[in-house]
Formats: sequence, C-alpha cells, structure tokens
Amino acid sequence: MVESHSAHEFNGVELSGVVEGDTVFIRADGRDSLGHPLDYHALNTVIRKAMMTKCKRIVLEGVLGQRYIGSASSRSDLKIDIHGTPGNNLGAFLDGSTIEVFGNAQDLTGNTMNSGKIVVHGNAWDVTGLAARGGEILIKGDSGYRVGIHMKEFGGMKPAIVIGGSAKDYLGEYMAGGTILVLRMGPDNGKSRIGHNIGAGMHGGSIFVKGQVLHHQLGRGAVFGDIVEDDIQRLEELIRDFEEAFKVGVPRDWSAFSKVCPNTYRPFSGHYDPTLI
Amino acid sequence: MSGLQGDPIFQSGMFRARSKRTIPQRPRSYLATRPPNLRYQMGGCGIAGLISINGDRISGEGITRMLTTMSERENGLGAGYACYGLFPDRRDEFCIQLLFDNEESKCLVEEFLKEHADVKKDERVFTKKVQSLAPPYPLVWRYFIKPADKREWRGNSNLSEEDYVVKLVMHINKNIDGAFCVSSGKDMAVFKGNGYSCEISEFYDIQRYSGQLWISHSRFPTNSPGWWGGAHPIGILDWAVCHNGEITSYGVNKKLVEMAGYDCTLLTDTEVIAYMWDLLVRKHELPIPAAAFAMAPWHHSDIARMDPESRLLANALRLTYKEAFLNGPFSIIVGRREPETTMIALADRKKLRPLIVGNSQDHKMVFSASEECAIRAIDTEAETWTPNAGSPMIAQVGKGVIRAGIEPPFLGVVR
Amino acid sequence: MNATVNLAKKSIGHLLPDRFRPVIDHESCKRCKRCVAECSFKAIDFIDDRVTSTGGCVACGRCAAFCPAGAIEIEVIQDQFPPHANFTERIRRGIMSQASTGGVLLSSCGTDVEHPVIFDELLLDAAQVTNPSIDPLREEIETITFLGRRSGKLTVSEKDSFAFVSEIGPVVAIDMPLMIGHISLGSVSYNAQKALFMAAKELNIIAGSGEGGLHPDFYVYADHINSEVASGRFGVTSDYLNKVATVEIKIGQGAKPGHGGHLPGEKVTDLISRTRMIPVGTDALSPYPHHDIYSIEDLQQLISVLKEATEYRVPIGVKIAATHNVAAVSSGIVRAGADFLTIDGFRGGTGSSPRIIRDHAGMPIEVAVAVVDKRLTEEELRNKVTLCAGGSIRSSADMIKCIALGADLVMVCTAALIAMGCHVCQQCHRGLCSWGIATQRPELTSRLDSDVAAARVTNLFSAWNEELKEVLGAMGIDSVESLVGNRDRLRYFGANPKVAEIMGVKHVGEGWG
Repeated sequence: MVESHSAHEFNGVELSGVVEGDTVFIRADGRDSLGHPLDYHALNTVIRKAMMTKCKRIVLEGVLGQRYIGSASSRSDLKIDIHGTPGNNLGAFLDGSTIEVFGNAQDLTGNTMNSGKIVVHGNAWDVTGLAARGGEILIKGDSGYRVGIHMKEFGGMKPAIVIGGSAKDYLGEYMAGGTILVLRMGPDNGKSRIGHNIGAGMHGGSIFVKGQVLHHQLGRGAVFGDIVEDDIQRLEELIRDFEEAFKVGVPRDWSAFSKVCPNTYRPFSGHYDPTLI
Repeated sequence: MSGLQGDPIFQSGMFRARSKRTIPQRPRSYLATRPPNLRYQMGGCGIAGLISINGDRISGEGITRMLTTMSERENGLGAGYACYGLFPDRRDEFCIQLLFDNEESKCLVEEFLKEHADVKKDERVFTKKVQSLAPPYPLVWRYFIKPADKREWRGNSNLSEEDYVVKLVMHINKNIDGAFCVSSGKDMAVFKGNGYSCEISEFYDIQRYSGQLWISHSRFPTNSPGWWGGAHPIGILDWAVCHNGEITSYGVNKKLVEMAGYDCTLLTDTEVIAYMWDLLVRKHELPIPAAAFAMAPWHHSDIARMDPESRLLANALRLTYKEAFLNGPFSIIVGRREPETTMIALADRKKLRPLIVGNSQDHKMVFSASEECAIRAIDTEAETWTPNAGSPMIAQVGKGVIRAGIEPPFLGVVR
Repeated sequence: MNATVNLAKKSIGHLLPDRFRPVIDHESCKRCKRCVAECSFKAIDFIDDRVTSTGGCVACGRCAAFCPAGAIEIEVIQDQFPPHANFTERIRRGIMSQASTGGVLLSSCGTDVEHPVIFDELLLDAAQVTNPSIDPLREEIETITFLGRRSGKLTVSEKDSFAFVSEIGPVVAIDMPLMIGHISLGSVSYNAQKALFMAAKELNIIAGSGEGGLHPDFYVYADHINSEVASGRFGVTSDYLNKVATVEIKIGQGAKPGHGGHLPGEKVTDLISRTRMIPVGTDALSPYPHHDIYSIEDLQQLISVLKEATEYRVPIGVKIAATHNVAAVSSGIVRAGADFLTIDGFRGGTGSSPRIIRDHAGMPIEVAVAVVDKRLTEEELRNKVTLCAGGSIRSSADMIKCIALGADLVMVCTAALIAMGCHVCQQCHRGLCSWGIATQRPELTSRLDSDVAAARVTNLFSAWNEELKEVLGAMGIDSVESLVGNRDRLRYFGANPKVAEIMGVKHVGEGWG
C-alpha cells in the first residue's frame, strides 16, 4: 500500500562554470544541506553540454566520487582534466576523448572503452579496463583486482593498459587481445607481489610484467612466452606514451620482463563429452 | 572574448545548474518487530569507518560525511552508525540500546532486565523528527547494566558476564515482541534505522556524539518492507559489523553459530558474521588474523606453498573451522572495544567487493570505505591502498595500523 | 505316500518363462561364435549352423557388445502373463519361484522396484545479480575434503608470541568429496578390486576394501584404502588396521539393513578361501550383528580398542544402514567416538541379498542424510565428525544434492562397477558375471583388464568432479565445504511436501533465508 509520492526537496547544489579561451572550467565541489556532494547526473549533464560546443578542454575541479564522468565521450579532439577523485566507471564506453586525472581513480575505469586515452596520476583500483576494445589507459601508480578482463582486439584496434606500479589477482583474465604492461616501479621497488591467476582463460593478447613471475601465479590456459621483435615495438610505443604522460624515465631492460600469453586458442578442448546418450 | 563565449550553449541560464536531491516519500516501515512476511534480506551497500589512533574523540560529523559521499550505494532502506568510546564514565557497564514499537514492550524489557541484571541507569536516546522520514518512529532507549553476581541461564550456570549478556539479548530479540536490541557492548552504541544515511544521521543527531571509532553502513536491499531493526551495523556485545555483499554459505555458517548457542533472528547473513567473530575471537580466543583466515581462507594450492609453521596452522584452521568459511562476495568493517578499540577491514578471498583503506599523513586517523571518495571527503592527503583479498587490515587506538592487509597471513601469529 | 513334513522343501520344478532373449540377425551374423564364447550363462549356442538362443538370458549385454557384426539385440520379452496391475508379472514370478523352491528369494545389485527417487525431485540453485557466479574453467574451485574427527575449536596460545598449540586428530585429505564404497574381494574379482584401488590412488581418494580382507598384493595401495571391520572379521589383522588410510566398522549396509554379508559358496574359490581364511566352497555368511556389539556402549568399546590398536593414527569410522531411527543412532555413534560416519541408503547395491530385505527395508539416503545432519547440528556434534552418505549415488547430480542435504562426502559403488562394464543385470550372486567383475571363475575374471577398468573409473569420477565444480561455480560457491548441509541451495518439486519438510528443504518457489 503506497501513499502518494510527494518528494522532499532540499537546497540544491550550485554548479557553475567559467569559459576561458577554448577551455571550460567547472567547479564540482559543492555540497547540499545534507552534506551530499554534487549529484553525478547534474555534473555529467553540464559536461555534455560543454562537449557540444567547440571547446577543446574541460577542466573539472573538486570532483568527489561522481560516477560515469566522460562516459561514451566520442570527440577525439577533446581533453577532460579531472582534479579530485572521480567515482566509478570513469570514461566508460569512451570513444575518442582523452581524460586526465590528477588524483586517484576508483573502480571500473575505462569500462568497455572503444578508443581514446585515460591518464591517471595516481592509482586506479579494481576492474580497470574491463572489456576494453581500443585506446589506452595509463596509470602512474597501482591498480587493483581483475584489471583488463576480457580485453579484445580486432583490425587496427589494439587496446593497452600500462600500470606504473603493480596489480593484484586475476590480471588479464579471459583476455582475447590487446596488451597489458605492468612496470612495478612503485615505491616498494617491485617487492609487492603481483597477484595470482594471471591470464586465467586467456585466448589472445599479451601481458608483460617487469620482474619475476612464478609459474604458480599463472591462471589456467596462460603460459610464459618469449619477447619478440613485434612485442618490443609495441612496448616501446607504450613506454614512450607512459614517459610522456608522467615525465619519468623507464629503463628499456627487456630481459627483465616476463611475458604471459595464451597456451592455445581453445583452452578447454577435452573438457566436454558431446556423446548422444 | 573568444569564440566560445558567443556559443549559444553558454548563454546565461544554461551554464548554471542546480542539483536537487530529492528523497521520495516511502511507505510505512517496521520498527523493532520483524516484518511478518520478511524473507531473507539481501542487496548491495556502502560501508565506511574511521578510527582515531591517538585516542582523540571524533564527532559523528566525519563519519556522516564519509557515508553520505557514497550516496549512490544506498536506496534509503537502511543506514546506521556505531560509535565506540561513547561512555568513558560508565566504562564497565554494558550499554543495552534498544528500539521499541511501543511503551508496553519497553515495560516488558525493563522488567526482564531488572530481574536478571543490575540496571545502573536508563535514559532515552536523543532523536528528532526528520522531515523526510515518515513516522512512526521507534522509541529508542538505553540501559546501563551490570550482570547479576550469580549468572545462571536455563540450566547453564556460572556463565561469564559476556555470555550471560548474550543470553539476555538473544532472549529479548527472540521472545519479547516489539523490542529489538541494537547493541549490547561496553562504552559503545549503535544508531540505526530505516532511511537514508543523511536521514538517520539527522534523526539521532549523530554529530552530538564523539568517539574513537566509528563504523557505518548504508543499504540497498532488494526487498522491502523496510525494517529499522534490519539495518546495519549488526552486532552482539561490543562487536559491530557493516557488511557489503552476500554470503552463499549462509546455511552452513548459520548452523555453526546456532550450534554454539546464538539465535539467528534477523534473517540476514550479516548477523551470522557478527556472531562468528564473537565465537571465534572472544570465545575461542583465536588471534584476529587467524579468525580472519578461517573466514576467508587461502586456497589449498597456496597453503601448500607456505612455510611449514604457517601451513600447519592454515590447514588446522581450514579443517576445524570449515563451517566458518564465508563463501561469496563480501567486504566488511568490524569494530570492537575489548580489550582494545579496534577496527578490522576484510574482503573475501576473491575480492569481489570493493574495499579501500587509508592512513592520514600524520598517522592520527585510519579510514576504511567502499570507495576512495569517502576517504577523500574528510582527508584529501591520506595515503590509500587496498588490502589483499582475504587479508585483514587491523587498526587499533594507541597502536595505529598493526596490519596493513598486505602481509603474509600469520605474521606475528606463528612463531 | 507320506506327504507330510518334507514335501514343502522338495524342489518342485515349474519353469518360469525367460525375461530376455538375444535376437540374432542371421544375415549379418558372421558365424564367428564369439557370442557363444562370451556368454557365461549358457544362454546362447551354435546349433545346426546357426547361432541360437537357448534360454536363461539375463541381458548382461556381453554378447551384443562383442559381436563384430553388431548382429545381436537383446530383446525384453514383454507380456508373458495376462495383464494385471496388481498381481504384476514380477509378483507372480516371485510366487511361482518360491512355490518351486521353498526358499528366500535372493538377488543382487540395488533394489529395482520403482520407488520414487527423491534426488530427481530436487532442483539446484544458481547465483545471479545479487551474487556473482564463478567460472570453474578460470577460477579455482576447491573440492578437497577432509575425513576424520574435528575438535570444533582450535587453541592458538598467546604465550611465546602466539605459538600454535592445538592437536589435530588423525585426518585424511582426499581430492574430491567422494569415496569408493566397500566392495569385497569375493563379491567381485581380484582384477575388479585391483582396478578400484588403482583408480582411488590415481584420483587421490579412498576405496573400501569390503569385508573380505585385503589381499597381500593390494597393500601397495594401502594409503588409499578404507579397510572394513565387519561382523565376520575376515582378514582383520594388525596390518589390515595399521597400514591403511582409514578403518570402518560395518554395522550395516543399505541394501540389507539388519543383515550381515553373504558370499554364496560358488564364489568361495581358493583365492577367497586364502584371503578370508575359510574353507573353499562354503557360504561365507557374516553374522547379523557384531557379536561384541549388542548396545551402544559396546560400540564405543570396539571403536576405542581399534583406536588403541592403531595408536590413534588412523580415523575410525562406522557404517550403518539408513533405518527409521537413523538420527538417534547416528548421534549415539558420534558420542561413542566415531571419527566418521557413513550412512547407506536402502537403494544401495550388494553382491547378494534376500529380495525381501533389499526391496522393502530401509530408508532413502536423501531423507536419512538430512535428518542425521539436522540431529547432529541440534546436538552440537555436527562439526566434530565427518558424515559420508551413499546408497545409489548414480551421477554427479545425486552427489551434489546429497552433499547439499548434509553429507561431507558421498560413497559410490555401483556406478564404479558400471564404469568397468557392469550392466546391472542382478546376477552377481550366481558368480557367472560375463564381464569378469562379480565372479571368481578364472576364465571370466581374466576378461577384465585392471588397467583399462581403472582408467574408466578414473575418467568417470574426474568428470563428476568437474561437474561438481560447474554447479558450485554456478551457485557462486568456490569451495565444496560451503555446500555441505546448505539445504537452502535446494528446492523440492515433488508430489509430497511432507518429504521436503522432513528434509528441511524449501519448496520450489520459496526464496532464500
């Protein structure tokens, strides 16, 4: 038994912006009378309005947990700068734009992205780059669990995730294409164990990790591989992008890298019995 | 003025926006009494906690800010806050805080408590009307008690004080209609109800309280009607648990705690988790990392690679406590008061739920939350990290972070 | 004529019509006579230049399986009696046979009477939305199971910086929640038992030795053997007790509650005589009760003496048949000190049993394991003992449902034999098994290649374990111990809700909690 729905409204949060040159500045740090930060829907609506103009850059200040920022953004000439902590699903379904975060990101960064670039001057946590099909995600610090699950590549689209620090369990699970590169340059100098179940169920793509990876850390269907000329070319490209984004130098010591790749393209043949009984 | 400012989209009025937070009117909810047709409660949630390492008491404003920052994780059907370090003047008395549907149930409980314990003081818990929170509201009351000298319950004599209080609380929740005990620990209390985190904070005026440890929870259950008693934190004695996730081994875990004498009356897996911590840590005296390992054990293939002493303990725990294994996705924040005020943050061994922890730069505050933005909301400079799957982060007043959650499981436990 | 006392016992022959007949396609038949050689029941012969059925076919399927031309079909001969729904053909045959022999009807295998199968009325749960399912092909799902007594509480001392002090009793770890049940050497052949032990070793589980003692050749498999101390005490030496993985006292067996073992004289050959230490050709009948167990405290005594004799290094278990009082009896057995408890349901198999007991006595394992699990939980005993259940576990579905109903692991016998070639023709008691399994005749036992048979049994249970993982993953559970007794993961959709109520299983349509 439901009574009539009358909504209670509270003092809203002001959201304002300033235009300077071809950049739009948006302050997102307001709080309402209940202490809630700016609602993501309002923020994203304003961002989309700004995207419809000819601006080349959108700068967000005071972001605190707002989700879905830059989702499905398809203007490849647009850059979104984020100061603060963006919420989950940053740049989900991204299709061309560049997003740069000055802070840490949360979970699901670059979820199912198609093209574009996401740069994080900090950490990004779990499920980064889920099902990415193209574009690049560059993370200066650490990432979390289940990074790069089911990345795919086709034709000229080759997705990549580069992590400056380390990652945890289930890295590149179900991978069907693309490249994951883990540099382990974090403050502990590569001591933190990269997780286990690396590449479980992978049937395409490659994972490169600086430093030793032990056999028991590999997931089912993943094996060690040799780094070949094509790999080095791709790694050079990615490392250059990383160095440029974060103004650091990365040693090109290929012998220190481990490569994880699929054992076969049909990892589970022999598992099923199709007999008519 | 550049070309952009002439852009029609930026005409005045279009580039100012107002975000309006609306809280819809909700149907009437149940208070202390469990809804009669309530089935198992499940759903998603947000959790947050903070602990003051140097013992300074922090007002509830901080924890409210943390929790409300994650408002996407709730749908208004339950929220709650637990505060530790609330009653330093009554340090040795158990604070039994209850929700009542009406005066009669209050009288029944008072009679029962007076008969079985020494009631030192009772007082009404401050509450205020919240515009968006539809009445009726429960009566919220607290009783400071000391158990009787001769602690006998249904043939079990010479119970410890804590076991005795557990029996009293189980009796109230199971047998006294219209009454629900929300917390029963020393120097702490739980404030919870059926509403948004901001509404519950306002209802109890959470910011008037200060304590060394706060943990909190906001719910997104998949079934209604709402029930004040069903919100988190859920606990027993000074244990309080905020839980995000769903335990698939609920039936198995429930049987273990019921065998040990706890009555599961809340039809939710979180209740079982709270009783499990009490059973394993208080009654069986397992060190916290060992109890956490029993609840989120390593895989046998990883145990085989441990050093011999750790392997022995790991196998012994997996064997003896296999019914304590919490299978399924979870992240929990657990608070306790005895013997030290402690905050524990733990995620399941496959890390299927988010959990992030943080330490302020001056090491005076340690945080835990479902999302980083909750920590940033009160400390923009804190160092943040995620504990490993199945590995507890433990922070204690006076000691700081004693386990970060990235160490080997039995560091400090096995010789 | 003095037709008084002995007349009833004199065999008065009255031929019963055959139930099966091999049908030969004479056009494809190559006249190789392979079928005649393969049939051990003398039901087929080569007469007048034709392969002919000579009566007595039991549908064991051997001839059809080995005919190189595929020219044989086994026909079930229907409607040999006028139709009657009440005096079924089976009932009439029973009467006629007993009128001829005056004997107790004997058979083997598990009951073939059409009682409703409760396993088939249970449906499994799966996780979605509020809980993720897990992919067993990519993420580890653990099926390791422990057998043995547990203390219920671990002591981790705070002195000396948390040195670990608690003692753990003898425990055996097996790789999947399944053990091969007791099948004695005698009821089956040497090659068959060897195959079962080889499979147990390969799978890293345990297999029961049965009550026939352990042949010296099989001591190489000892750490995968669960030796049986039955009422006949065949072969119970100190080696039999000390070298094996576990020891189980057989109080009863699901196929014949209240009865002891029965090995007909036809199967007591030289080999069996030596292993069991009894004369060749005698009927090896085990007493109905253990003659040192007339009450529960006697059982405690036997358990204690076995623990003492094995110096507390081996888990000692007890196996009982599922009967009406199984919950109370189980509680007593756990209190008497058993480290593990096996319950055998009424549909369990056997090498030989009177039909009257096999078909009509006992209790379905589904209900038995649920009520025992509930009772042990109520009495705060459940987490101290390992509960095993069996009695016609036919597939991984049965195994999974049995675990969800309350068993830590299941015990399987008949399915293992079917993997080796058995067609369940219910002739084991005659010792003529054409597949070389339930016989002692050398010309028949040599037909069973232990290596091949072991590989087939290994395949079967490995596949079941993979199916277990598929189901656990679908339920969002990543370790089998979180399914044990988790009856909330099952729903009943049979005709009688009272059954569901007694088992503690919700009805289909009811939600969680």
